Amino acid sequence: MKAIGKYSIASILAWGLHVARVIVFCAFVGLSIAAVFTPILPFLAPAIERLPGVGHDATIDISGGAYVEIMNHFVTFGVMLFIINRLLEILRTLRLGSPFVKENADRFRQVGFGLLLGEAAKIAFLILGEIFDADVDLNFEMTTWIAMAAVFVLAEVFRQGAKMKEEQDLTV
Amino acid sequence: MSIGVKLDRVLLDRGMSLTELSDRVGVTIANLSILKTGKAKAIRFSTLEAICKELNCQPGEILSFTDDGRPIEHDD
Repeated sequence: MKAIGKYSIASILAWGLHVARVIVFCAFVGLSIAAVFTPILPFLAPAIERLPGVGHDATIDISGGAYVEIMNHFVTFGVMLFIINRLLEILRTLRLGSPFVKENADRFRQVGFGLLLGEAAKIAFLILGEIFDADVDLNFEMTTWIAMAAVFVLAEVFRQGAKMKEEQDLTV
Repeated sequence: MSIGVKLDRVLLDRGMSLTELSDRVGVTIANLSILKTGKAKAIRFSTLEAICKELNCQPGEILSFTDDGRPIEHDD
């Protein structure tokens, strides 16, 4: 199978990542709205009560645990969106025929830090979940940490590759 | 960089243009420009050989080593 061009691995991956980006972006926007409006909804209750068809005893009760769950998903989808965008940028340079650039090494490093942030957020939300009685699972997976290490290794490989490419380009 | 390239001077002495040298040695003008302006990180022996052959010169006439930008002084 071809590495670049039509029906290549890169183009299939890019297509899949574009679809994933749309889905993750929609979920992220929804969670952003929820994250903003959830804390202020109880304060809007009097206004909602005045709406036609809403009873006078309308109450909006959102627990701290529910908000922790929303924020957990918000951060998870934010990290996913960030990583997908970096991967698409890397694939774009591959399609253009010059993947060994310093920027890609930085992008891989950003992906690694994104994964690290995601894992750190998981632990933080687990602690918050215990405090606010939220249903947050830790799901500690060794493969995630190994993948994170692989991404950091790949970043350094790309950094060295970019140096070699530059040297090759400047060899007469 | 402590290795200086004096290709422009040799070309001037020989009355040859960069385009003409490019045609003769089979190296692109872009690459020769990189060499001439001192941006090159390395030069292949085959390229150096072809340039020296066409310009009828020694590698030392094209390349020079300088220490902190000053030319190295020799006793002779």
